[in-house]
Amino acid sequence: MEREVIIIGGGIAGLQCGRDLRLAGHEVRVLERARGVGGRCATRCFEGQPIDFGPMFLHGRALPFVQAVAEVEGAVLHAAWPHQIQGQGQPCQLNTFAATETRVTLPAGMNTFAKHLAAGVEVRLQTCVTGISLEGDRFLLNTDDGATFACQDLVLALALEQTLRLLGTLETQPELASIQALLGMFASVPCLTLLAAYPLATQAPDWDLLYPDDSESLQLIAQDSRKRGEPKYLTLVIQARPRWSRERLELPQATWAAELLKEAAGCVGEWVLRPLWQSPHRWRFARVDRGNELARPVLTRLKAGQRLGLAGDVFAPGGGVQAAWLSGSALAQRLLTEEQR
Amino acid sequence: MTTMDARLNELVERDRNHECPGLGHDHVCVRIVAVAKLPSRFGDFRVVAFWNNRDQKDHIAVVHGDVVGAEDVPTRMHSECLTGDVIGSLRCDCRDQLETALKKIGALERGVVLYLRQEGRGIGLANKIRAYALQDQGMDTVEANLALGFRDDERDYAVAAHMLQSLGISSVQLMTNNPTKVQQLEQYGVQVSKRLPHLLPPNSHNRFYLETKAQRSGHYIDFTGLPRLQEQSDPVRIEGMLE
Repeated sequence: MEREVIIIGGGIAGLQCGRDLRLAGHEVRVLERARGVGGRCATRCFEGQPIDFGPMFLHGRALPFVQAVAEVEGAVLHAAWPHQIQGQGQPCQLNTFAATETRVTLPAGMNTFAKHLAAGVEVRLQTCVTGISLEGDRFLLNTDDGATFACQDLVLALALEQTLRLLGTLETQPELASIQALLGMFASVPCLTLLAAYPLATQAPDWDLLYPDDSESLQLIAQDSRKRGEPKYLTLVIQARPRWSRERLELPQATWAAELLKEAAGCVGEWVLRPLWQSPHRWRFARVDRGNELARPVLTRLKAGQRLGLAGDVFAPGGGVQAAWLSGSALAQRLLTEEQR
Repeated sequence: MTTMDARLNELVERDRNHECPGLGHDHVCVRIVAVAKLPSRFGDFRVVAFWNNRDQKDHIAVVHGDVVGAEDVPTRMHSECLTGDVIGSLRCDCRDQLETALKKIGALERGVVLYLRQEGRGIGLANKIRAYALQDQGMDTVEANLALGFRDDERDYAVAAHMLQSLGISSVQLMTNNPTKVQQLEQYGVQVSKRLPHLLPPNSHNRFYLETKAQRSGHYIDFTGLPRLQEQSDPVRIEGMLE
């Protein structure tokens, strides 16, 4: 099994990189650990109703990014959710609601963006790469199901810490030392997230998105059901602040989920304590924090000729989904133009 | 008020409603928003503050003599370097370059130093210090520095060109050791009538430039054993340095 380029990570950065390389006629294979594409651009379904539990909506100002999102079927670009924003707390990015930002919601779920990007790209799901080694002018990849892959060009499009962990499995490369040191200066922040569904008849708050400013635990509460055309349930997504999340990362999910629900009930109403269904999710590496941004993706050539590319939300200014997409796109560009030994 | 000051002040009035398609792919537009006297230890200047449409950074022009409507104005473009300009860091030559430019222009009949504030713009100062931190570990930092990306020269030229146009300067004598800077500026519509080499006086801090044999490659290792990051998109030249 040999491919020209292998991309580890089927999130937005990896998929966009794969898409551009594919369009340029390269053979690309994306290896994704999960059962579906999208990475942190994540959507669950409760009884057929999508609930986004990574980023709540897309926003950006880079025209190519906005255009790429606009191509997704059903994308809402004008007067997009959230219409009603409550609370004085801050969104995770300072410029989220700036006039220069275009906001986009995807009524069928955020992961439809990833599915759209993945169309035409070969993606192997449920494939977790556990180690990288070198053989001649190739990379060899080992996966947890015993499969082996080889390639000349390898792209890591993962959360920063996962990239560093995988690079750590590779024998020391002088070409990579400064990159590893560089990435060691950056860090992702965690985000404990709780999804909850209620009967539609519940007295719904009149906001789409609440940013509490006086809560130690709550970053935001989103009324996800208000993104959907004809929701069957009222759904809330509760996301915790980075520090609060970090302190509870290793605790049982039930413990922090109960805490989050209680805090949310204090903000919204007693009814929040009694969901029909709830599901906690632990984002260990939710996003890069402000000030943790590089200008562009990394591409290095190792001594034997292999090329290693790094993309992801840390590899473009501004963070978030837009940065991930831009870095994937920029890396594909570099792989194509800085070609040929 | 001298006629010179009056002319500068009129530009503030003129720019109040200034709008234009902007320069470069970022459509950079600037407006002159304030002018004041700025006597400095390096000469007698006026300082001109610019608003711009791309970021929250106020760029300035440090002006000596009557430049409004003038031709062949000696001009230096300087990119902000907080550690060098303010702290006097010896990891770069920015302070030397800035001082030399201000002194030279202050001694001429007229001239302009464009001080382009770019550090802290998106990715800036913190990433520069990360680049230093990598150097401190003795790393080969070429690819890492590119990723840290604390320069956007193209935007700077567009900003600089518009600033000169706003000042009504029709042509400049550009103080630079970088011929492509001339091309870039002309591409944005500023006529460069002459290139003046930007020579720094030798001192104990930059003596290694005269002693090193690395001129050709452009990589300099200084007395502290650290490679010099080029922060001004302008190769350093010291008086007495071999070509």
